[in-house]
Amino acid sequence: VNPMNLRRYRLLVWKEFLQLRRDPLLLSIVFVMPVLQLIMFGYVVGADVTHLPTAVVDHDHTVTSRTLVHAFESSTYFDVTERPTAESALQPLFDSTRVRVAVVIDRGTEAALLRGETAEVGIVVDGADSKTASVAGGYAGQVIASFNARRISAAARGGGPVLDSRVRVMFNPSLRAVNAMVPGLVATILMISVMAVMSQAVVRERARGTLEQMMVTPISRAEYLAGKVTPYALIAVVQMTFIALIGRLWFGVPFNGDLVTVPLGLTLFMFTSIGLGLLISLISRTQQQAQQMTMFYMIPVMVLSGFMFPIESMPAAIVPLTYFIPLRYALVVLRASFLKGSGVLDLWVQLVAMLAFALLIFGVAVTRFQKRLSE
Amino acid sequence: VGAGRRVGAIARKELIHISRDWRILVGVAVLPLVQLLLFAYAISFDVRNVPTIVYDSDNTAQSRSYVDAATNAGFFHVTRYVSSGSEIDGVFDRGEARVAIVISRGFGTAISSGGTARAAVLVDGSEPNSAELGRTYALALNNAFGRSALVSWSATRGASRSIGALEPRLRTWYNPERSSADFLVPGLMVVIIMIVTVQQTAVTLVRERAQGTLEQLLVSPLTRSELILGKVLPWVVLGFLDTIGITAIAIAIFNVPLRGDISVLAVSMFLFVLCSLSIGLVISAIAPTLESANLVALLVSFLPGFMLSGMAFPLASIPVVLQGVSYLFPGRYMVEIARGVFLRGAGWSILGGQVLALCAYAAIGLGLATLLNRQRV
Repeated sequence: VNPMNLRRYRLLVWKEFLQLRRDPLLLSIVFVMPVLQLIMFGYVVGADVTHLPTAVVDHDHTVTSRTLVHAFESSTYFDVTERPTAESALQPLFDSTRVRVAVVIDRGTEAALLRGETAEVGIVVDGADSKTASVAGGYAGQVIASFNARRISAAARGGGPVLDSRVRVMFNPSLRAVNAMVPGLVATILMISVMAVMSQAVVRERARGTLEQMMVTPISRAEYLAGKVTPYALIAVVQMTFIALIGRLWFGVPFNGDLVTVPLGLTLFMFTSIGLGLLISLISRTQQQAQQMTMFYMIPVMVLSGFMFPIESMPAAIVPLTYFIPLRYALVVLRASFLKGSGVLDLWVQLVAMLAFALLIFGVAVTRFQKRLSE
Repeated sequence: VGAGRRVGAIARKELIHISRDWRILVGVAVLPLVQLLLFAYAISFDVRNVPTIVYDSDNTAQSRSYVDAATNAGFFHVTRYVSSGSEIDGVFDRGEARVAIVISRGFGTAISSGGTARAAVLVDGSEPNSAELGRTYALALNNAFGRSALVSWSATRGASRSIGALEPRLRTWYNPERSSADFLVPGLMVVIIMIVTVQQTAVTLVRERAQGTLEQLLVSPLTRSELILGKVLPWVVLGFLDTIGITAIAIAIFNVPLRGDISVLAVSMFLFVLCSLSIGLVISAIAPTLESANLVALLVSFLPGFMLSGMAFPLASIPVVLQGVSYLFPGRYMVEIARGVFLRGAGWSILGGQVLALCAYAAIGLGLATLLNRQRV
């Protein structure tokens, strides 16, 4: 008997689509979910932290301190909303979250600068809010750096060496977070929706007893698996295209990649996700277990893949774990090709890694499927 | 008295369901703790050792001291020296380094003779968080180097010239050591509780309906609100136990301070568990099948939990419409309370409003769930 009969395969695919259509809520979620995710991630994670409510305590009251305060005011990162006269007034402002940042200029700052000394400027950030704490210090550092740069270049006018060192941000000069977020999002949404639906596919049939019925028909195992995978793969392709288009047209994310690397990377990654979903579906005994396992897999993956938090900032003991996450490679491929225009040759390591994962996962899924049926 | 017994019976039935499936117990007891450990260990907010390449076409004492100054802060970590400018593109394309320091020929001569020394720091912007920090460090480096070059040049000419400079002295209030556990755990426990409870209750009514047992329950003397109450009760207990476990681990293992009024935390956590359960029950009342109940639960607990609670991303910087949406989910109030109690040392006077909001939310949510369930059958 031919293990792969095209007519039977087509009918199986058709059956899956019919089943999907029966549950209108499920179908609408499959299409609404990616859009909602894109909006949330695009606008929330991609939001650049600006206009932080800031308090300024100026004990110095000199031209220098006013210049510095003005530099903070004219930066889009800080909105100077409070000007308390004493440092003790800062505590209630922070406690009630009315300010997130405070700048404290000590008495004698100008005098110290005129003597040629280094004067410290106090920058207080709200440590209860991680993102603010991590970015506000950096922004303040930049404001102070450009303040210093002006003083140094003024001093160099009297003769002497000048350091002309530009700091240039490549590939994403405006440092828009959305530009890095959307390429990663294409892969992440793909993973979430494929796994959420796929993990239910086989376990549902077993719960209803239709799996046994299926197996006494002439349908081969290969046909059955292919018939299960194809509809979800097709849906995933539609979803991805949709997300990529919204990202390009609505969020204005640049696309410098080529039409070989991106689809190749996405396809390989899609197979790892489908394979994992299938595997979960085969291991679980009930639909709820499948659901839980999917969640259990997805949460660490979102954290460790570098999707939300850069891998560089993770402790050295954690970093080796990230190599076991297919999403990690997909993120590198997509970000590099969207933003930098990297090609297949630059990214072959990641592509091969995803291929290996896909083969491994599908291999395990197929053997597991055989065993499961003979149980 | 009869009502209490009936509610108790339903609650016991639920507990038996739960204890039958050890995987649910794992999901409720072990998963939250694993997640907590993972997040608290894996996430840190201080980027260090960013892979950096150097293209030094000058190769003098001065250019080397510029590179040394760059690496001293611990942010730039030089992994390689390249010998041509064209190599830089390839390194960036393959993602082998995120920063390139380029020093032009004549750098050393310019520094010692009072000319203009040219250099550049290129930062890969495809990872905006570290790029932003890279820019900050590079600007500070340029200042420090330029200033000391000017001062020492003047010194060699016998003229003492002094240039003052400002230096930021960063203090992180509520978390002076910038420990990532302190940053994360208060928000994280809210998200974890939300995910666990919404997921588990979202399927309870759908399952009863699918198995036909809901009809059986409804012909019994049980009223609908008793049914909802009985369904919720075991999960309230489990959710609350989870909270206690997470809090204990946070304090004992991660040394997260608990500075505020613990009674605020206990009361609001109890209310928050009720809120999440009511969301789960509303889903359960409207979802036609188990799959869609699961998916909606995933969508509702996971996304707003992470994104719109303020746990990882400050709500003030997101668009106004989404800020409005964030009020529709209880996570936002609870994250505020948890941070307030753990880190800011807040009590009833500051957080009272948030606790009231949770209270109202729980009442409305449970009422809505009862109502929707009534319409459904």
